[in-house]
Amino acid sequence: MNILIVEDNQELANEVRDFLSRNGYLCTLAKNCEQALDAFAGTDYDAMLLDLGLPDGDGFEVLKEVRKSKSKIAVIVITARGEIDDRVNGLELGADDYLTKPFALTELNARLFAVIRRLHGFVLNELEIHGFKLQLQDYKVSYQGNTISLTKKEFDIFQYLVLNKNRVITRLQLTEHIWGDVLELNSDSNFIDVHVRNLRKKLDKFVSIPWFETVRNVGYCINS
Amino acid sequence: MKIKSQLIIFNLITRLLVILVFWLVLPILVQKVVYKKIDKSLVEKKQKFLEHLDKEEINDFILRNDTTETYASFSTLHSEFLQLSRKPTDFHQNKTVFVDEYRIIEGEQDNYRILRYQFLYEKTAYELEIGNSLGEIQDLTFIIKLFVLVVLIIILVVTFVMDTFYIEYLLKPFYKIIDTKIRRVNEPDTFDHTPINSTSSDFRELDTVLNQMMNRISELFKMEKQFIANVSHELLTPIALLQNKFENLIQNESLNDNAVDKIASSLRTLDMLKKVINNLLLISRIENHQYESNEKVNLQELLDDLCEDLTDRIDEKKIDLKMNLQHQFEFIGNKTLIHILLYNLMVNAIKYNKENGSIVVTDGFDETDYFLSISDTGIGMNENQVSHIFNRFTRINANEDGNGLGLAIVRSIALFHQIKIEVNSKLGEGTIFLLHFPVKENFY
Repeated sequence: MNILIVEDNQELANEVRDFLSRNGYLCTLAKNCEQALDAFAGTDYDAMLLDLGLPDGDGFEVLKEVRKSKSKIAVIVITARGEIDDRVNGLELGADDYLTKPFALTELNARLFAVIRRLHGFVLNELEIHGFKLQLQDYKVSYQGNTISLTKKEFDIFQYLVLNKNRVITRLQLTEHIWGDVLELNSDSNFIDVHVRNLRKKLDKFVSIPWFETVRNVGYCINS
Repeated sequence: MKIKSQLIIFNLITRLLVILVFWLVLPILVQKVVYKKIDKSLVEKKQKFLEHLDKEEINDFILRNDTTETYASFSTLHSEFLQLSRKPTDFHQNKTVFVDEYRIIEGEQDNYRILRYQFLYEKTAYELEIGNSLGEIQDLTFIIKLFVLVVLIIILVVTFVMDTFYIEYLLKPFYKIIDTKIRRVNEPDTFDHTPINSTSSDFRELDTVLNQMMNRISELFKMEKQFIANVSHELLTPIALLQNKFENLIQNESLNDNAVDKIASSLRTLDMLKKVINNLLLISRIENHQYESNEKVNLQELLDDLCEDLTDRIDEKKIDLKMNLQHQFEFIGNKTLIHILLYNLMVNAIKYNKENGSIVVTDGFDETDYFLSISDTGIGMNENQVSHIFNRFTRINANEDGNGLGLAIVRSIALFHQIKIEVNSKLGEGTIFLLHFPVKENFY
């Protein structure tokens, strides 16, 4: 998978690249609109991460150009709150998704997975981890043909952890993924633990799950 | 009351007063003038008579010296008369008196102005009476009074109408200024800078000053907008960088538990920082009018969604939530903002509630507004606390997490949508938040 990262902050771009590379993506960096359009013209990318505040112009200009071409590239717009109505504009201009800065890298991973899956016409419908099959279309999990009934939240947590397997996922990241980027302060709450506990109980019924780790005081991790 | 109406009412009252005073004073004035004239002519006649005393006819009467007899002469239509009689008793020499009396002359009664003069002539006392009929004059006075009154009323009505139009004309620019420059301006961008024509320099000055003021505000608004955008970018980018660095760092397998804990805790601090900035930015953007307000918002749907999101918290405290909404009220505003407003209120209702407490949401219409009431059985507040809750960084309970911005945001959003908030709280019993949504402008 080829990803074009358009971000003027070099360090931030590097962090994102490091993360995505470890997840098997091939990343190219572009610092401004010009570089972004040059890179876009030269290579066929699957997805683009587009920051709006670029030194030589507005990220929307890049988006417009990209949508004029025949490319079906998936675009995730990255905005800082305060840049007016980015969200509405972005979606109108044909962004596939948006993330507000600062965002969790694991969240970016989940969003990328979703837009690329959509881009490829939903061919990939199943994730597998230690014999558990996650059916993405109907939010169902099965183990050796037995369907496990999960709530929507439990399924979302499971999917998120599986997509970001081998990584420690903090409660905060999970909470934000499940309840959205709420403005409240104490969103690092224990409510997520209740759902994770229930999820583990349901999975544990079929087979022992030592790979579903609890990282004390931090969060959770699923190892492959 | 408008200046226009005040001036008109003042005009009307002063004019009515003028008419009233005139109506009261006029008869006295006319009478005075008329009597003066009559008295003067009566005195002249008396003079003439006395000069002609030796004339034969009068002389006859005087010489006859008969006490019972009276000499009298009158004009054909009885408008005047003259009477000379002997007056032996009650005699005051050369005294002239004017009286109004009724007299009957040849069977016709009439009111007369009479000059009475007593004098000695050849050692005999006489009384001379010269009368002038008042009937005619009273008729005349009445006509004059009527005429003057009609003229007065006409003049007053004409000047009143003219004044009213002139006031209207004079004040027109003023009302235009109020209407176009003050009332219809919600944000500086929509301000109309075209000068308003007026013949009065005062209004021109007012207009100029308003324009200048608005320019300054406009400038400040733009600066703030720029500032908000800068803060968003310049503060949030480093936070994003730190967050992502920590997130990558925490995956490093060589880290011991202690280091992982510290990184996780740093991430939480960063998250808090991010949220405080985002909250402050939200308030600034609302106050800077950077949000559209033209979406149809169904409060009931919004509340249902919201409670769905909050199920975990509600269940955790075993709170009994009663949603008793009777009306499908739709409000024109910004859905995202209204969502935040209700979310913050509901979260507070849960957060400050006690175990097994309850939250009741009701709605209804009072005289002018639609109201939504959210009441909890929480810790409540005293009056002093209630007066501070909408200030930024105020926290009622230091034990609870929070940044003290939730209700400041609620207030900003409410102000932005012209929603009135009423808070009733009793310490230890609970709190009721009443939201009054304006109805008229939003029903179409």
